[in-house]
Amino acid sequence: MDRRYVIRRLLQVLPAVASILIVTFVVVHAAPGDPVVAVAGESGDEAYYAFMREKFGLDRPALQQFLTYAGNVLRGDLGVSFVLGQDVSTLIAERVPATLLLMGTALLVSTVGGVVVGALAARRPFGPFDLSVSTGALIGYALPSFWLAQLAMLTIAFRTGWFPIQGMTDARANYTGLAHWGDVAHHLVLPALVLAASEVALISRIARTGILAEMDSDYIRVAQAKGLSASGALFHHALRNALLPVVTVVGTRIGFLFSGAVLVETVFGWPGLGRLVLSAAQTRDHPVLLGMVLVVAFTLVLANLITDLVYSRVDPRIRYR
Amino acid sequence: MKKRLAVAVLAMMLVATACGGDDDGGDAAPDTQSTTPTTAAPARGGTLVVAIGSDPGSLNPAVTSNGGVHTASEMMFNGLVGWSADGKPTPELAQSWTIDGNGTAYNFKLRTGVKWHDGRDFTSDDVKFTFERALLKLHSRTQASMGSAQLTLEAPNPTTVIFRFPNPYAPLLQQLNVTEAPIIPKHIYEGCTDLATVAGCPANKTPVGTGPFKLDSYTIQEIKLVRNPTYFRAGLPYLDGMVQRVIPDVGTQILALENKEIDWVGSVPGPDIERVKKNSAIGTSTAPRGSGGGNCTTTMIFNMKPPAGRTPFFADVRTRQAVWHAIDRNQAFRTVSFSQGKVSAAPINSGITFAAASGLTLPSFDVNRAKTLLDQVGWKDEGGARVARGVANVTDGTKFEIDWHGFAGDQTTYGEQLRGQLSAVGITMQVKTEDNATFSAAVFNRRDFDTGVASYCNGDDPEIGFRRQVDSRQISTTAFSNGAGYSNPDVDRLLDTASREPDPAKRTPLYRELQEQLVKDLPYVWLTESAGLRAFNAGCTGFNHQNTGLFAEAASCKK
Repeated sequence: MDRRYVIRRLLQVLPAVASILIVTFVVVHAAPGDPVVAVAGESGDEAYYAFMREKFGLDRPALQQFLTYAGNVLRGDLGVSFVLGQDVSTLIAERVPATLLLMGTALLVSTVGGVVVGALAARRPFGPFDLSVSTGALIGYALPSFWLAQLAMLTIAFRTGWFPIQGMTDARANYTGLAHWGDVAHHLVLPALVLAASEVALISRIARTGILAEMDSDYIRVAQAKGLSASGALFHHALRNALLPVVTVVGTRIGFLFSGAVLVETVFGWPGLGRLVLSAAQTRDHPVLLGMVLVVAFTLVLANLITDLVYSRVDPRIRYR
Repeated sequence: MKKRLAVAVLAMMLVATACGGDDDGGDAAPDTQSTTPTTAAPARGGTLVVAIGSDPGSLNPAVTSNGGVHTASEMMFNGLVGWSADGKPTPELAQSWTIDGNGTAYNFKLRTGVKWHDGRDFTSDDVKFTFERALLKLHSRTQASMGSAQLTLEAPNPTTVIFRFPNPYAPLLQQLNVTEAPIIPKHIYEGCTDLATVAGCPANKTPVGTGPFKLDSYTIQEIKLVRNPTYFRAGLPYLDGMVQRVIPDVGTQILALENKEIDWVGSVPGPDIERVKKNSAIGTSTAPRGSGGGNCTTTMIFNMKPPAGRTPFFADVRTRQAVWHAIDRNQAFRTVSFSQGKVSAAPINSGITFAAASGLTLPSFDVNRAKTLLDQVGWKDEGGARVARGVANVTDGTKFEIDWHGFAGDQTTYGEQLRGQLSAVGITMQVKTEDNATFSAAVFNRRDFDTGVASYCNGDDPEIGFRRQVDSRQISTTAFSNGAGYSNPDVDRLLDTASREPDPAKRTPLYRELQEQLVKDLPYVWLTESAGLRAFNAGCTGFNHQNTGLFAEAASCKK
């Protein structure tokens, strides 16, 4: 791995993030609605709104507002939320662990689950298992996550009582240590599964197609000629090569996973970044919205870079210059 | 219950004004008067888990009127004057008061021995500081009302505060509860560089108040409160603590309540009402109040003053009458409000009993009358659609096609219903549902609309939340001001006269005259008066449903 390549890719992040920031700034400011109304409530008078506008710098020309904001960002200052009154960086940092836990679990479940299901389906293409997986994947991918979330809540959590409806912990219990993490895991199951559902569907399809393509190649035929069973050839040889498109998809799906997390967190009352971003959008909380876009954009660019690096691990023939 | 409230308040003011004594009975009554009476002694201990809709960010209710902040923080604070369930101003941080000069000076004697959560004494300096530095600058409702009335405060000694106004100011006692005017400690907040934010005032996240509960912890998913053992109402609260859990989705809130994960939901959505009421493990109570203020009327706004280039569809009063006749308000009440609250019978909300007129004749649901009126104005029926043929200030041939703005959610149903009813008389209406920010921008900021629906919360006095709707000087870009663009000098004069009249008995006829004029002019359609349905764990009692601020002050839950 060439270190120069990584540095060059990291430098490419800057113009990408800068242009995303400009576009978001324009969109956020062009959106109808006044953040001051969200802060002031409905009963302020003109003088009060003018005072708040001045306080937030919203009375100044947009270009000047942007330059001030960009300057602050360069100094590492994401500003203060209009509505919550707290530093945006603090608001985000406090919520990163909850979202990472949710998205990480969903990513793990969907990747491992998707590959396993895809591989099992590829063992007997168009057999009963493959057909039911294909149908299930189609449905799973088509269901909107917020609807699936409500469905899971009503049927699984409410009817069976196996899982809690909302939150990250039990509101009445004061668990510590291991019991606390057990409680969190118990609360995590449903939201993570709901978030993972459409990803499992997608990844199982990609893995199945990839494995089938590999199973058709000469080296598999050679391996089988040497006496390896079909399953052995699949799991020992074809799977690793079929993982390449899976890695690509997983890398590019991080963004979709986050947008899913916005909805899933809101429905399940999971205290993460998704919920923060939704309320910021509703109240036109510019600093929080811009800060979140910055963080998400940065994460996505980084995720793409990591995807590229993982490629070369999976397939040693790939080299970067 | 609410009906008697305003009358009693003003009666109280009258008594206070008339006798001018120093003590109007203040502390003699037991302080638990504001609670639902219970026969057995309330259970002590336990934790009440309450659902709140948003993460408030800050826990200082004096520096904002934001409903989320107030819901989450009011249990930790007090106002000078509270409300009893039977509708009287009750001593809270103020022990008693007198009113002089026909309402230009209010003299409050403060309760002694009240401690802040950190152990320091509460004094008049705290009251003066709270008003001058926080409420009159940063709390939008208090700033707009008392601030505009040029309130000044004096603290001549630690237990006396005097409020002075240049002109008589009638509604003061209705505006001193924990929602409108929570008192914060000077010694904690005076060092803040920016009182409005946590960044400029870290104490906003670690508040110190006088209220029945104090802060235990504030995390990203909940705010935990614990009992204040030195609360000035001896013996209260009964609960050991409260957990305010952030659950943004109301559907999730209800399911969590049914699943016994939480104990209290502030407002049940319409479609869930029947199911919740059938559940014997859940208690319910109707209340005309929410954290945004009380006595709210869902109101349809006619744009009587559209910007240049927009057709003035509603300039003629007969057109507005026609729309009134075309609308079936009872249907909306049944299907949109799920029969919670009532159909409006007067422009002012019936919760303000001394001001809401009774026996007014509002245009009834009468499709034929609507059609006749439209014909008279010059909106002719051409193949089922109304087209301008000689309507004043409208180009001939213009079709009666209007837009309608409302909030996404329940109000979408309103829009669809109105659309159907108006199409029956030949008016085409396009329904646009938006979020709050977009709605306010289109309707109030740009006036770029024909009709819209908004909830105007009247509060406990017409001065608080009703005046803005009809005062011609409040035709402004401010959200929820005079959206109709309605202007009538007689109405303005009546509003002014009534606001300066300290004698409530003399205010009543003034407001009646005002409403009779409004019913002639019909700048709005007053549709329905809303009421929220609270739902709670049936094992818990003692809630004060009229008082959103201190609703759980005397609550207790069976173990």
